[in-house]
This record gives sequence, structure tokens and C-alpha cells, in this order.
Amino acid sequence: MPFKRFDQAHPFVTLGVIVAAWLLLPTAVKTFARATFFELTAPITLATSKVRDLQEYWSLRLHSKNELIEAGRDLARVNASYEVAVQENVELRAEIARLESLLRLPSFSDYRFEHARVARRDFSSWWHRLVIRKGRNFGIPVGAPVVFTGGVVGRVTEVHATTAVVELISSPNVRLAGVVEGDSRPISFQGGNNPTFAPPKGVVELMPLDLIASPNTPKRLVTSGFGGIFPPGLTLGTIVRAELGSDGLFKSGEVRLDERLGSLTEVTVMVPLNLDGAPAAARGR
Amino acid sequence: MPRAPSHPAESAGHLVDHHKGYDPRIVFFYFVLAILLLTLAGGLAYQQLFKVGEHANAERVQNQRRIVYPGPRGNIYDRHHRLLVGNRPRFSVRLLLDALRPEIRAEEIRIRRNYRNLDDVDAADLPSAAQRVQIARASVVQRYLDEVNRILGRQERVDTRDLERHFARELLLPYTLLDDLAPAEYARLLERLPVNSPAQVHTSSVRDYPYGSAASHTLGYVGSTDAVELEDFPGDDLKTFKMKGTMGRDGVEKQFDELLQGEAGGAIFRVDPAGNRINPPLAQVYPKQGRNLVLSLDIDLQLAAEGRLAQNEMAGAAVAVDVNTGEVLVLASKPDYDLAAFSPRLSGATAADITARGAWFKRAVQGAYHPGSSFKILTTIAGFHAGAVTPDSTAHCPGFFRVGARAFACHDGHAHGEIDLVMAITKSCNVFFYKHGMDMGPEAIAREARRFHLDRPTGIELPDETRRMIIPDPEWKRRTTKEPWVGGDTANMAIGQGFVDVTPLQMACFAASVARNEVWTQPTILHDPNRPRQRHEPIGLTTEQRAALLQGMEQVTRKPFGTARIFQELLEPLPGLRLAAKTGTAQKPSPRGTINFAWLILFAPVENPQIALAVAIEGDTPGEETGGGRYASPVAHAILKAWLDRKNQVPLNPIRFRSD
Repeated sequence: MPFKRFDQAHPFVTLGVIVAAWLLLPTAVKTFARATFFELTAPITLATSKVRDLQEYWSLRLHSKNELIEAGRDLARVNASYEVAVQENVELRAEIARLESLLRLPSFSDYRFEHARVARRDFSSWWHRLVIRKGRNFGIPVGAPVVFTGGVVGRVTEVHATTAVVELISSPNVRLAGVVEGDSRPISFQGGNNPTFAPPKGVVELMPLDLIASPNTPKRLVTSGFGGIFPPGLTLGTIVRAELGSDGLFKSGEVRLDERLGSLTEVTVMVPLNLDGAPAAARGR
Repeated sequence: MPRAPSHPAESAGHLVDHHKGYDPRIVFFYFVLAILLLTLAGGLAYQQLFKVGEHANAERVQNQRRIVYPGPRGNIYDRHHRLLVGNRPRFSVRLLLDALRPEIRAEEIRIRRNYRNLDDVDAADLPSAAQRVQIARASVVQRYLDEVNRILGRQERVDTRDLERHFARELLLPYTLLDDLAPAEYARLLERLPVNSPAQVHTSSVRDYPYGSAASHTLGYVGSTDAVELEDFPGDDLKTFKMKGTMGRDGVEKQFDELLQGEAGGAIFRVDPAGNRINPPLAQVYPKQGRNLVLSLDIDLQLAAEGRLAQNEMAGAAVAVDVNTGEVLVLASKPDYDLAAFSPRLSGATAADITARGAWFKRAVQGAYHPGSSFKILTTIAGFHAGAVTPDSTAHCPGFFRVGARAFACHDGHAHGEIDLVMAITKSCNVFFYKHGMDMGPEAIAREARRFHLDRPTGIELPDETRRMIIPDPEWKRRTTKEPWVGGDTANMAIGQGFVDVTPLQMACFAASVARNEVWTQPTILHDPNRPRQRHEPIGLTTEQRAALLQGMEQVTRKPFGTARIFQELLEPLPGLRLAAKTGTAQKPSPRGTINFAWLILFAPVENPQIALAVAIEGDTPGEETGGGRYASPVAHAILKAWLDRKNQVPLNPIRFRSD
């Protein structure tokens, strides 16, 4: 019964034909298909995110009035402290502006801050990514640094119409030039091989031999500003171990990252104001 | 025709579905199937049970890579533990050529297509396949370099000749796009180059010389070597990547290469199918830095000597020795070279410049010069032993001394009149030493010079010390020149001219030996804080003889008629330091005319000698008076001043930790 056997193989033949057709398609078509796929699925991602927000809203509605009143009081206290911080920031900004004017330095305000809600988290052994609910519609560029209250989140790697993909610093595909707080020598930081549910960590290399870090005497690792992408001084993590590296010239070590990276709901994208020129960090500030 | 059934029952039997349980043909296939299954199972069992080790090993070889890297070389310090040679990281951006193959292939196809589309080009003018590949390689590499240029704001171009040489000879090694990056540059590249880009920042260790060219001839330099071996480390059968190591090529780096050489380290990594390593390593041995070396040099004195030598703008050498231990405090030679130019490799232009300046020549240990009048100290000692000279010896100096038909001029052609030993040393009267040299004969002078080891290398722990020093005698001249010894040879020998050749290091050791009243000082370049005072055969002078010798030497710098009176007249005073010195101005005929060599040997303090030195300056203009007093004395003065400054430094109180 050869015809019957062929009928049974039909799905495989169809699959083969599709694969062959995909392989033979021009590169431009394939690129277009890949790009549009994300745009096609973006509404689903956004809808899921908004449904989750709605779900949270209704779960909050289940709280009693007393709980809400207490939460409101807590929030008022936090707001009050933030207002004080805002006042201090205003004064500090004025002082910075005065000093910049006095020393004839270019303005430090090279970024505008775009706050975005996290639509999806995508963690695997190969990458650690977030999808945020802002994209080209808010002028977010590829490569823009992303931060949160705990320090650096990562870097924008893809920008779509209404969403953007952020590669987290816990991803092995992200590498930054950091410095140990108080030191000026650059150190290579790279995300580690992080299992999905494990606390995020990274690795440091090219660490000067005289710097010592251990679980008892951890060292805070911050951005160096040398790379021209991140301004200096943002927290990357804490170096908890440093050992003599394979070349005998430097140390290599382990960096403990902020555990909140795995549960972020809001991040801030630092959009360079002058996209053509290098930001202040790149000018050695 | 088929036979019709004859009986209804028979005919009904055709309607029944018979099942035949035994069919020989099927059994045959069962048998074949069973054989095949047994073969499969046997093969599987064989592979799994008996060849498991072999497969595990093959899997290991395929999935693991071994890296061997050299250990950092040991540091070199001066006697006060100041770093003379260390290690520093060198950052470069390198291109992994393996990852470029598809790109280069695609580029070559594109180039070929572009040429084919050209209508007005003759087929003979089209590049060959090999040329197209070269163009494609350069184009792809330049593309990556452009990316690096964009990040760093540079305008570098690919050296196509260098690139082709790399493809031909070192294909497996990464190609260096840019070398010696500043820390800010490599940090910028770290952040901006994609993690999986073929262009990556690389770190290597190179020698670092905090004092630049100081003591360059003594310290020496290193070159690269592939001979990096890691013993007692598993994985000999794995694919191994060896980093280049370094090997001492000259100076202390060469002499003590075995000691300075670090112990290699290594690691075995598991790799993914693309060949990328997976951390952490499966096995790792950390490299160990080589042992550190503490030299006897004092960098302050060395810098002082080199700085003053450089001011003369003439070639020369200066050596200072610790009188008691023989440790060499200064071993300077000019012109020299900047050791940083050797890291990581010396360029052809720099090598040519060093050659043109004659800077390879280590004058302190390789320069065999006539010692000139500084040799008169040895002639005096030889005269004491031969009985030809006494502390009261005198001579009449009319300004010349006649040997046969030839008149030998006195120092500067001056007539000193009646002159005694002390004044002869102070004023460097040649006639006194001609006369007494002739009286004692060449053998006596040569014998004394050999007692002071001036006829052989000192044996200092440095490579390339010359063996061309000469202490002549009649037998030597007959053997070497096939000519007889004449009276003029003795006269010349008595004042350190003629055939006598010694090195500045030898003369410094000679000065130290005279200072200790012994016949030999073994110089050493290594520092040992507990090194005992050297003890050798005493010279054997009477108290009166030694007193006369030292008085003459002391007056050289103290008296207004001394040949090194510049110490009193022009140079900054050295408070409380009594010097015993002897200058010399040797002449050497050259095709351009007679060239002078300025000498000074000295030790101090006279009452308790601690430092001895010798300075030799090569005159560069024929006929110009390059006197020892004028040219060599300032160098010696600079060394002594630095020595006094260090001696007068208030020692820091050691930090005492509370034991409780």
C-alpha cells in the first residue's frame, strides 16, 4: 500500500517543504518576518501584562478599608521622605549647575529618564531579559542604560513600536567596565551563567591584585563611566569573592547582584539627550 | 485451468481462513532478524562494556580544551628594594580569525561578483582567486578595525602586509588589531564590543621599567618564547593552547633567567559545540611568579652617574663598588637604550637607532681601554715590590723622557723639575714613571697587574663581560705581534698606554682593592645584607709605602696643582669626605687622529674606605684634550654626592607592633 504510506508521511513532507522554503527565502524576507513576529505578538504581551495589572487591582480591592488606610499612611510617610529627598536633589542640582558654570564644564544632564512598566520577564540559562511597555513610541533607543533603585538593570537591546527588550546585567551577554567604589581602575564585569531560579550573580575579571574582596569584606562594584554608555557611580553589585586569575596579573571574582532583578515591575530607561554625541560618561566625567 | 472442487465440503474449505503456524520461509527471516539483533546487541554491549573508556576519552578530547600560560617573571629590585623591573598588564584588541571564515568567504564572493559586473575591464586585469581572498581578508579585518576606531575615536588602518604574514604563519593565533591600549580605552571597548564579537580585548603581561633606561645594560631585556611547559598537569592529549612566554635575552634577565622565570599555570575547560569555554574550569593550576632578585645597584647613585654621563654628551662608563663587599653600586654605560622600547618587541627602526648610536656596547664591562695615568698606581705598587721605587724616590722631569732615539713627553708637556713620588702621583708626572718603569722592567709591572687580576675577566654575574683585557709583557708581544719588546713599550706600559687594556669594572675593583690594601676584589651584582667583608691576599706594602701612595692620591683632588683639582675649584664640596683619586688621560690613535680617553679612579673616605669607583669617558673629537680631571671627575662627584646624601639620610624608625 505505497499510497497509504505516503499519506501517513504527509505531515513530515509538509514540514520539510516549509523548512526548505524558509531556508531558500531571501535574507531580507526572513529579517522582516522575524521583526514583524515580535510586533505581532507584542499586543498579546501587553494585554497579558495589563490583565495582570487588573488582576492585581482586583486583588487589592479585596483588602479591608483598615488595611488600605494603614497603607495610605505608610505611603504618606514614604512620600514625605521622598519630598525631602527631592528638595535635597534640587539643591544639589543647583550646586552642580553652579560648579559646572564656575569650572566651565559641560552640563551633566545628558539623559532624560523614561519610567517603564515591565511587561514580561524572560529568564533562561542563555539570557536574562525583560520586555518593557515602552518602545519607539517613547523615543527609547537601542543601547540605552536601564536602572532601578538598586542600581543598574541592564541595557536596551531591541526596540519595537510599543515595547523594548532589556538585557539584564545578570545575562552572560552583558559586559560592562566597572570600578570598585573609591578606586579608579577599570574592571571587567560580565553576567554569569545563572540558573533560572538561582540568585543572580556575575563575574569580574581584570581586577587589580591589591583589591581584596571576600564574603566578610565585600566590595561595592559601580559603573566606571569609561564605556560611554552608563554614567559613573551606578551600583552593579557586590564583589564577594576575588581570587588570583589565570594569568597571575589580575584577580577574578564573583559578584552578587541585587535579587530584586528577578522581580522588577518598574524600571527607568536613561535616554541620552544627545544621541549623536557621546554622553558625559563617554567624555571621561 | 484451475481444477473445480469435486465435493461441496472441499469447496466449503476454501471459505475458511486457514492459519498456518509454521512456515520455513518465515523462520529463515526470523533467524536472519535474530542474527541482526544479536549483532546489534553484541556491538552495543561491546561498545558500552569494553570500549567505554575509549569513548569517554574521545568525548573528553572533543569537549575539553587545555590552556597553558606562563607565570609572571620575578621582579628585580635595587639594594634598597626599589622596583627596577616589574610586570605590567598590556591591553590589546585582537581578532579571532577562526570566526571570520564565513565573512571572508562571503566578501570574496561579493568581490568576484563586483568584478564580473564590470564591463570595461580586461580579463587579464582581473585579480586572481588568491588576490581576491587577500582583498576580502583585508576588507573584513578593516571592517572590525573601523568599529574599534569608531569606539575609540581613532583612524587606524590595517597593515595588509602584516595581515597576510599572519594568515600565512600564525593562522591559529588571534590577529592583534591595536596594541598597548590605555585603561580608559580598553574599558570603553569592554563595554561596547559585543560579548560574542570576534574582536575581543586581550591582556598580556609585559616587563615594566619604572626608571626607563636606567641601568639598561645591566638589567637587560626579554624576548618572547614558545617554550612554556607545564609539568604534572593532566590533559597532555587535549587540544592545548599555549600562550607565549618570555626569556631573558641580555643582562641580569638573561643571567638569572632560570630564577626569574615563573612557573607556568594551566586550566582545562569544557567547551560548547561552538568552542566557547564554559566556566568554571574542570582543573586549574595557578601560575606562580618567578623569584624576585635584589641587585646590589643603588638606583640613586646609578641615576646620578647616568645623568652626569649624559651631560658630557660623550660615550663613557662609570662603576662604583662597595669596598668591603665588592657589591657593585653603579654600573653605568652611555649611550644606552630605553628598556620600554623592548616591550613587547623592539621595532626595526629603534634597533637601527641603537646600532647607529653604538648603544648596544656595554662600556662598563665590555669596553677595554688604555687606563692611562690611572695605571700609575699599579706601577707604583709594582715599583715598591721590585725595589725600584721607595717613598723617597725622586726623578728629574725636563718635560720629556728619552728612550733610545725617541722622546716621550710628560703630562701636558710640562717640565716638573725635581719631583718625588707623592708629587709625581699628584701631578701625574709621566717622566717619573717612565724612569722607574724602565728600572723595574715590564715583567715586574705585568706580574703586579696579574696579582690584581687585571689580566682576566672579573667574573661578575653578567653575560658578555669582555675577555679582551690585556696585560702585556715581552712574551705576550712576541707571541701576538711577532715583534720584540722594546724600551718604549715599557715606558708606555708604566703609564697605562701602549698595549695595556682594562675595563672600567676592573679599574673600579682595582681601586677597591687598593682601598682595602688587598690584591683582589670580587665584584658581584647581587645584594646580600649579610655579605661578609672580602678577605684576599694583602698587597704587602710597608706603612711608609702605603702612606706615600695615599698621600699622593689624596692630593690629586685636594691640592691646587692636583690633576683633579676641579673637586675643589668648581664642584660642590663634599663635606667631611677625604678622597684618594688618580686621573688618567689615555691616547688612542684612530684613522681620524688621536682620541683621548678620560679616566678617574677613586675611593673614599681615605681613613675608612667604603666606596670605590672608576669613570672612563671616550673622547669623540680627535686632537681634543679630553682630560680625566675635567670630564671624569664631575661624574665621580655626582656619584659621591648621591652616596653621601643617602649616607646622611636619617633612617626611619621601624614600626613596632604591640605584641599583646
